[in-house]
Amino acid sequence: MKKTLRFRFALFIGKAAYRTGKLLKMNASHFPGRLAINLCPDFLGRIDKPEKIVCVTGTNGKTTACNMILDVLSDCGYDVLNNRAGSNLNAGIATALLSHSTLGGKVKHKLALFEVDERSSKLIYPFIHPDFAVCTNLFRDSLQRNAHTEYIFNLISDHIPKDTHMILNADDAISSGLAPDNKRTYYSIAHMETDHDEDINIINDARICPKCYHLLKYNYLKYHHIGNAYCPNCGFTSPESDYAALPDFDAGTITVKHGDADETYPLITDSIFNTYNQVTAIAVLRELGLSPEEISSSFAKVKVLETRYSSKEANGVEVITHLSKGFNPIACSCVFEFVSRQPGEKEVILMLGDIYGHSHSPEIVTWMYDADFEYLNQPDINHLIICGERCEDYKLRLLLAGVSEDKITCVPDEAKAHEYLRLDKTEKVFILHQVYATTAAAVAQNKIIDRLISK
Amino acid sequence: MADSIIIETLYPEFANLFGDLMNTGYLKKCIPDGTFIDTNLFDEPAFVSQDVSMVFMGAMSEKQQELVVHALTPYRERITELIDKGCIFLMTGNAMEIFGNYIENEDESRIDCLGLFDTYARRFMFKRHNSYILGEFQDMKLLGFKSQFSHSYGDNSDCYFYKVTTGCGINPDSDLEGLRKNNFYGTYTIGPFLISNPLFVKYLMTLMGIENPELAFEDTITNAYNSRVRQFETFKSH
Repeated sequence: MKKTLRFRFALFIGKAAYRTGKLLKMNASHFPGRLAINLCPDFLGRIDKPEKIVCVTGTNGKTTACNMILDVLSDCGYDVLNNRAGSNLNAGIATALLSHSTLGGKVKHKLALFEVDERSSKLIYPFIHPDFAVCTNLFRDSLQRNAHTEYIFNLISDHIPKDTHMILNADDAISSGLAPDNKRTYYSIAHMETDHDEDINIINDARICPKCYHLLKYNYLKYHHIGNAYCPNCGFTSPESDYAALPDFDAGTITVKHGDADETYPLITDSIFNTYNQVTAIAVLRELGLSPEEISSSFAKVKVLETRYSSKEANGVEVITHLSKGFNPIACSCVFEFVSRQPGEKEVILMLGDIYGHSHSPEIVTWMYDADFEYLNQPDINHLIICGERCEDYKLRLLLAGVSEDKITCVPDEAKAHEYLRLDKTEKVFILHQVYATTAAAVAQNKIIDRLISK
Repeated sequence: MADSIIIETLYPEFANLFGDLMNTGYLKKCIPDGTFIDTNLFDEPAFVSQDVSMVFMGAMSEKQQELVVHALTPYRERITELIDKGCIFLMTGNAMEIFGNYIENEDESRIDCLGLFDTYARRFMFKRHNSYILGEFQDMKLLGFKSQFSHSYGDNSDCYFYKVTTGCGINPDSDLEGLRKNNFYGTYTIGPFLISNPLFVKYLMTLMGIENPELAFEDTITNAYNSRVRQFETFKSH
């Protein structure tokens, strides 16, 4: 697209806003791009782009997968333009591009990697025309923003350019069907002993065949609808995988079958969810032309950022805070499942209420009936403390999950939750918190540690 | 009495976008001796060959609405008969729209529906509506959340479910929520409508012939309901 006077003005103002933000020590990862797009709505289409662009989207795991790809590329000496520092909306991508371009709109990078918010697809893909579009998975998410998977699927699929190469999760019967006429590469995780042959979660967003709408069956399921599906009615099956991975958690390796070769990489996570993210990264990096040796060597230095998890210990009791993205039933179910698998006698504090959103309207509680609170009904979870104004709703949900009433304590004031811990036989305390309660969880963690030390 | 109660859930494999299935999940706890039937898309509904006490269907995607219209159209007369006989129907979210005349897309194309109510729905796929509502049905307060792409239009003044005191009815300009005929109740409220409204659960159980109905976890669900009513009324006053 031609660089019009309007575009050049928007670029100038956007760059000035970026510089000013930096001088004021602000993050400036969104506003400059927002400004530029407001001044020139097709700004993203007019600014020069790197020779190769990779976009990563999906409901869960896109940030982690992006970080892994970027870490490996950086370690291998690539200078990658990216939006890691901030927003994954069109404004964030515009900011990343304008901040690294000249006043003439030229960009020096040869490669860009962008994390893309699913809902922003129509504002991003037609303008930046990615060479590769990656989708980690599609699940139901915040119902107020994302509605349902069909809506998000159509948003992405309808706006991906026809010549974009798709890199997709073969184990997701929903996202594997994105942009069906585009060139595509699939990755998957092969059957494992820990898999299930039928639903173990409340929700499965792919219970019906995307072709004929009859009930799908699964050769194996990892979690929710992630697994190998087939339709007994029409013959639909999960696609054949170009990168079929098999993790060995004991050995700390992951073997990826690609063509006739078996490639072995260090496994940098101990969860199946992040293993999918690592396989996503491997597929992308291989398609970008990196060798297994380069990737393997870099993975040995990469660490999955565990900003969502923090552990402290005192008097033999481990006190763990863990982000549990409220209103995202899949994310919460995964965290509950993680807690249920941890050995030892446990107490759990739930800080899942939406304190921030709550000031604007009543807290929506429908999501909790999609989340598997049943995982918290375990003999070694001795006590559950529920915080927030809606604690009676959470209590009801736990009762419906089969948790005994004598294990549940409601504490509306989350600042006082730690005072109600029993700490008699307890070996682990989990504080599962909403994004907005990160500070409150950290404060509670420290107070529990203090209490344990003075015990 | 309870052992003769039959509750059918239509298309649970997809009509459950927002925790809707916990409506019948909760009824199972309240009526442990009842018979609960799940009917999938290509199966003949149980209500076709037997009288059931209640039919439930939850929210679904737009494409799935079209599948359901196609699936239920052959049984239109039977559904009419059951409604006339007083069978309970509870339709949450956009399931309600299937019983109106048609659903109109943004390009003005139409999907003909069952036509049991003289209303129609319009989709606004780039304008999601999120809200909460509080209203009055008989002597009880009903409440819930809405999250939808479509609204219904037409005159429902003689067939509304309940009058809204906070929020909107079947469209942003209406204060008459949902559709009702005999014991057919349709509401745009999503998810676990019954769990949010325990008094209405008791009402339904009474309609099913249960004397002095007792709710599962009655104290907790009542406390949660009372707390939510207070909260909704507080926001109303803002």
